[in-house]
Amino acid sequence: MIELKNVCKNYGLTPALTDVSFSVEKGQIVGFVGPNGAGKSTAMKIITTYTAPTSGTCMVGGYDVMKDPLSVRRMIGYLPETVPLYYDMLVHEYLEFIGQARHLNGKFKQRYDWVVEAAGLAPVLNRKIGVLSKGYKQRTCLAQALIHDPEILILDEPTSGLDPLQIIGIRNLIRNLSRDKTIILSTHILTEVSTVSDRILVVNEGRLVADGSFDDLIQQVTKRNSVYISVKGTKKDFQSAINKIKGAEEIEFDENTPRGVVGGHIYFPSKTDILPDLNHVIRENKWDIVEFSRERLSLEESFIRLTRSSGQEGGTA
Amino acid sequence: MNDVAIILKRELKQYFYSPIAYVFCIIFIVLNASIYMFHFFFFGNADMRAFFSTLPLILGLIFIPAISMRLWSEDYKLGTVELLLTLPIRTEAIVLGKYLAGLIFYLVGLAGTLTIPILLVFLGKPDIGPMIGGYFGAIMLGGFFLAVGIFISGFFSDQIVSLIITSLACGFLVLVGWQYVPMVIDGWIPGLGSFLYSYVGVTRHFNDIERGVIDIKSIIYFISLTALFIYLNAKALERRKY
Repeated sequence: MIELKNVCKNYGLTPALTDVSFSVEKGQIVGFVGPNGAGKSTAMKIITTYTAPTSGTCMVGGYDVMKDPLSVRRMIGYLPETVPLYYDMLVHEYLEFIGQARHLNGKFKQRYDWVVEAAGLAPVLNRKIGVLSKGYKQRTCLAQALIHDPEILILDEPTSGLDPLQIIGIRNLIRNLSRDKTIILSTHILTEVSTVSDRILVVNEGRLVADGSFDDLIQQVTKRNSVYISVKGTKKDFQSAINKIKGAEEIEFDENTPRGVVGGHIYFPSKTDILPDLNHVIRENKWDIVEFSRERLSLEESFIRLTRSSGQEGGTA
Repeated sequence: MNDVAIILKRELKQYFYSPIAYVFCIIFIVLNASIYMFHFFFFGNADMRAFFSTLPLILGLIFIPAISMRLWSEDYKLGTVELLLTLPIRTEAIVLGKYLAGLIFYLVGLAGTLTIPILLVFLGKPDIGPMIGGYFGAIMLGGFFLAVGIFISGFFSDQIVSLIITSLACGFLVLVGWQYVPMVIDGWIPGLGSFLYSYVGVTRHFNDIERGVIDIKSIIYFISLTALFIYLNAKALERRKY
């Protein structure tokens, strides 16, 4: 449905995208993840024909974005990051304008009713857009992207500025739409991509650094796992006992334990499991456990690692 | 509905949403009428020559830049340019719709000055021909300035900057068409002043029409330049993609 091949985009001398290639199948929901300024919006602007790639090609639904932009635009519903609204218009006037510009004609009434219901706009239809809250502005703009029942939806940070309840609402809306639609959404809220999308593309500094399902990506970044344990005893005993465990690669001592208590993070490769051995050591030494926990990388940490591991120093996180 | 008409309708509404447009309309009418009334009472002639001699400067410096400044600059500021240029409508149709909305608003303002010829008809026996010619010329001239204005507005996201640059550009076009200004320029660089007067200045063409000499050359001059700037505006917006 969407296919980018070796797309580069420079703004003046600054490269925004460098050699990006990927394709999205019909019906897929793809999450675009990356720090601010990574090139997510630029890629979306190219797909929606708003900007042209400096080199490379982008095909949408079989049409080239450069050669046949109008056919591409007809297929796409686009929610830009800037939330473009005419602040002097009433909500229903704005939707009517979009309906006309999208050539809905006879289908307008039905689509309008649907989109007002779906985006929850009924209470504000006769209000000026300029006085709406950020959440309603965002939803008005989302309604604009949905009104013509597009095959492809490009949503640039669709849930920014919404409260948690509205975020869940939008997420459910996206999930319900998804059965027959191709969706690309960008975000830096990671729980969002992991709950909504089938596939995640991570972009950093204009390059595609990872592509896969959420679990794939987590595996890619977590080469080793760790446990935290603290017990009553001395540092020397603790260290010598842990060193006997096969697979324990490194101990990072916790300096903030109370007197008489020793503890630390024990790292081991993610393929091996040290828990049986650790249990054995604990029983052998008759340790009194103060604290024990298995550590998992949070989504945020894995995200930071992914963007760091692309080989760039001092990335903007 | 036709694409051009869809854009036109929305843009025209936008003019009437904002108070700035009304303010400029009133200033335009009051300024024109008051300058004219001075001549009217002083000389007591039942013609509109004084009106049409100051009109190009008022149009070029204030009124047209005030109408055209928002046409693209406002969309850049609101981000709605991204919405417009991803709608399934050709860029040319959007430009034309916006231009025509500005033109209609200008015509509304210009219609506000019709009180003067109506007054003259009641008070004396004016020669109707030059008045009709004058208004026809004003439409041509305003239409041309508006095309320059929308073209300039396409480059700036700040309405005030668009207003000032358009004002400078139109003011220049008017001034080099006045007889004294080219003479002074000729004094500095011989030939430049007369060149500007005959090929760039807009006043000469306007004066021809206003005098009732509806010369086909002047009409072609205005229409072709208007079309050129509208075309350039669409091209510049397409270029912006790269």
